[in-house]
Amino acid sequence: MKTTRRMAMGLLAGAASLGLSMGAAQAQEDIVIGGSLPMTGVFAFAGISIEAGMSDYIKLVNDAGGIDGKMVRLAYEDTGYKVDQSVAVFNKLTSQEEIHLYYGDSTGFAKTIAPELVRKGSMIMGGASFASELNNPEAYPYAFIPGPDYTEMVNILLEYIAKEKPGASIALINSDTEFGRDPIAAAKARAAELGLDVVLEIITPPGSVDVSTEVLKLRRARPDYAISHGYILAPQPEFMSQAKALGLETKFMGTFWSMDSSLWKTVGETADGYMGVMPYRYYYDDADNAPMLDKIREMRPEYQSTGYMQGFLSAMLMVESAKRVLAEGKEMNGANLKAAMNTIKDFDTGGIMGLPISMPGNSIPVGRVYQFSAAEGKMLPVSDWINVE
Amino acid sequence: MIIGTAKESYRADEALLTTQPQRVWMAIFLAALVALPFALNDYWLYLACLVAINVTAATGLNILTGFTGLVSLGHAAFMAVGAYTVAWAETRLGTPFFINLIAGGLVAAAFGILVGLPSLRVKGLYLAIATIAASFILHFCFIHFDGITGGATGINVPPLSIFGIELATYFRLYWVIMPITAVMVLGAANLFRTRIGRAFIAIRDRDISAEVLGIPLLRYKLMSFSIASFYAGMAGGLWAYFFRVVTPESFPLLTSIFLLAAIIVGGMGAIIGGIAGAIFMTLAPELLRFGMEWISPLVPNAGALLSPVRTVVFGALIVGFLIFEPQGLAEIIQRIRRYFRLWPFRT
Repeated sequence: MKTTRRMAMGLLAGAASLGLSMGAAQAQEDIVIGGSLPMTGVFAFAGISIEAGMSDYIKLVNDAGGIDGKMVRLAYEDTGYKVDQSVAVFNKLTSQEEIHLYYGDSTGFAKTIAPELVRKGSMIMGGASFASELNNPEAYPYAFIPGPDYTEMVNILLEYIAKEKPGASIALINSDTEFGRDPIAAAKARAAELGLDVVLEIITPPGSVDVSTEVLKLRRARPDYAISHGYILAPQPEFMSQAKALGLETKFMGTFWSMDSSLWKTVGETADGYMGVMPYRYYYDDADNAPMLDKIREMRPEYQSTGYMQGFLSAMLMVESAKRVLAEGKEMNGANLKAAMNTIKDFDTGGIMGLPISMPGNSIPVGRVYQFSAAEGKMLPVSDWINVE
Repeated sequence: MIIGTAKESYRADEALLTTQPQRVWMAIFLAALVALPFALNDYWLYLACLVAINVTAATGLNILTGFTGLVSLGHAAFMAVGAYTVAWAETRLGTPFFINLIAGGLVAAAFGILVGLPSLRVKGLYLAIATIAASFILHFCFIHFDGITGGATGINVPPLSIFGIELATYFRLYWVIMPITAVMVLGAANLFRTRIGRAFIAIRDRDISAEVLGIPLLRYKLMSFSIASFYAGMAGGLWAYFFRVVTPESFPLLTSIFLLAAIIVGGMGAIIGGIAGAIFMTLAPELLRFGMEWISPLVPNAGALLSPVRTVVFGALIVGFLIFEPQGLAEIIQRIRRYFRLWPFRT
C-alpha cells in the first residue's frame, strides 16, 4: 500500500508545484476574459464558434488600441460540456490569472459557480446558457445573459403568433431536460394572457429520435403552431417531415440554439418554413447600418454560425462594461462591472442586434423571428425586432 | 531491504499495515494530506476534493463489483439519492451537516437494497442492465417528484456550516471531505478483514460454492449492495455540499461508467485499486491540460485543435491500461513495491 500512496502524493505534489509555477509566470497587464468552453463533447459545435466569435471581437478591440491601452486576452480551456470540468477550468484559470470577466458553458455550471462568484465578488459571468433562472439579479447578481432568456425567447414567438393569428392554437414540444423544461410554465401563462390556446404539451425523452406517437397527438390536436425548445436539431426535422406527411399545416418554431442555418441546410427540403427566434443578425443578413457585420465578413469570408454571433456579442458586452468601469476610474470587480453593464442603454452593437440594446437587469429581451428558406439555404426575417421588456 | 515479516499472532497477520516501512509511509502520507491544503492553490484544492469524493464513490463500487462480483451501472443514481437527501434535509429540515450526510448514505443504502433484489436471480450483464433500468426510474422520479426534488431545476444547497462556521472555500471544505474519505476508505479496508468481507469475496469467486459453504446469498448480496450504496450516498452528499446544486442532470449514466472505468483501471478487488483509479480518472484529463499547454505555442489555433486530442489521449491511456495491465494500477503499484522490497539487490 505504501508505494501507491507515495505515488499519489508525488503526483499531487508535482502537479501542485506545476500549477503554482504556471500561475506566477503569466503577465498581469492584460484584461483577461476567462472561459470554460465546450471545445469537445455534445456542445462542441457551439463552443468552437463561440471561441471564434469572442476571439474576433477581442482582436478588433486590440487592433483599435485595447481598453485604455490595456490589451484584452481570452484565456479559455476545454470542458467537454461537463460541469465538474467547467468548475475545474474556472478554478485553474482564476488561480493563474486575474480575471474579472468570465464565459461559462452551461446552465449547470452557471448555477454551480454562482455562490462562488458571490463569495469572490471579483467578476461577472455570461455564457452559453439563456436559462430563465439566471435572469434574476437578486439570486444571480453577477450573471448576465447576452440576449433574451428562454422564457423571453418563447414570449417573442408568442407575441409574433398573437399578431399574425390572434387566438391561434399552440403545441409546446420540449425535451425532458432542465434546458427543455425551462420556459414551459411561463409560456403557458403568457399564452393565456395573449389569448392564445395551448392545446397540447409534448415532452420528449432526451436523445429521442422516434416521435411517431407524438406526431399522432399533434394530428389529433391540429395546432396552428408548435413551439419546440430544448433541442439543437433532432427530433425537430422528424416532427416536421411526419407532420407534413400527415397533411398537418402546423408551423414549427424553435429557440436560439436550434436556429443555426447551416444545421437546417443539412436537413434539406423538410426544413423549409421552420421558424424561430434569433436575438442576433445572421452572418449573411443585409442591413444598412451594420458595420460589425461587415467587419466579421471581412475577417471571415465563410459563413459563421449563431454561436459565433453569441460569442461576439458576449465579448462586446464584457469589454463595454470593463471600459465603463475603467473610464470612471473604479476598481474592476463584480459589483462595479455589473453596475456598469446595467448602465448600457440604447447601445449600438454595430448591427449584431437590430435594435439599440439596454441591459437593465440580467438579460436583453430582444429578438426577431426568422424563417428558413430551403431554396436559399438561409434564415430570412419574417418579423421586425421584438422587445418583450 | 526487507527479508521477511515475522508474525507472532493472528492479530498481527490480519493487521492492515504489517511492516514498519508501511507504517512509516502511511504516517508520512497522512501528514502530507494534512499539509496539502497549505501548499495548493484553489485549482488543485478543488481537484483534491473532487478526487476524494470520487475515491469514496469508487471504493463503494469496488466493494460491490470488485469484491462481490456484482456489476452495477446504477452507482451514479445512488450518488444522486444521497445528494438529493442531503440537499432536501439541508434546505427543508435544516438539520446539522453530519446527520444529513449519514441520512444521505442510509437512504441511498435503502434504495441499494431495493435495486439489489434482482441480483439473486440475474448476474453479469443482465444485472448491469437491471441497475441501469433502476437508475432511469430514479431519474424519472428526480424530475417528476417536484415537491421533494425541485423538478428539472433541482435544489440549490446553502454552504456547509459546522458550529456556525461557513465552509464555502475549497480550503475549508477539504477539512471535511478528506477526513470523511479517509474514514470511508479505512472502513472498506477493514471490511475485508471480517467475515462479511470474506463472504463477499467467496460470492464473487463462485456464488454456488459460497452458498454451499453456508453463506446466505440473498443476505450478503443485498448487504453488499447496501454498503456500496451507502458509500455512493455519502459521496453524493459530499458532492451536494461541494457543488452546491443538485439537478436531475448532475449524475448522468456517464458518471456510473466513469466510476466503473475507475475501478477497472485502478484494479478491481483491491482497495488501493479504487483509490488509484479514482485519482487517475479525475486527474489524468487535468494533467493532460498542461501537456497541451506545453505544445500549444507550436500549434496555431491550439485551443480548438488540441482539445479533442486531450480526449483522445485520455481514451488511449485507458485502453493502454486495459491491454498492458489488465490487473490495473493496483498491480503496477504491487510491482513497484516488490521491486523496492529487494532494492538495491535486484533479482
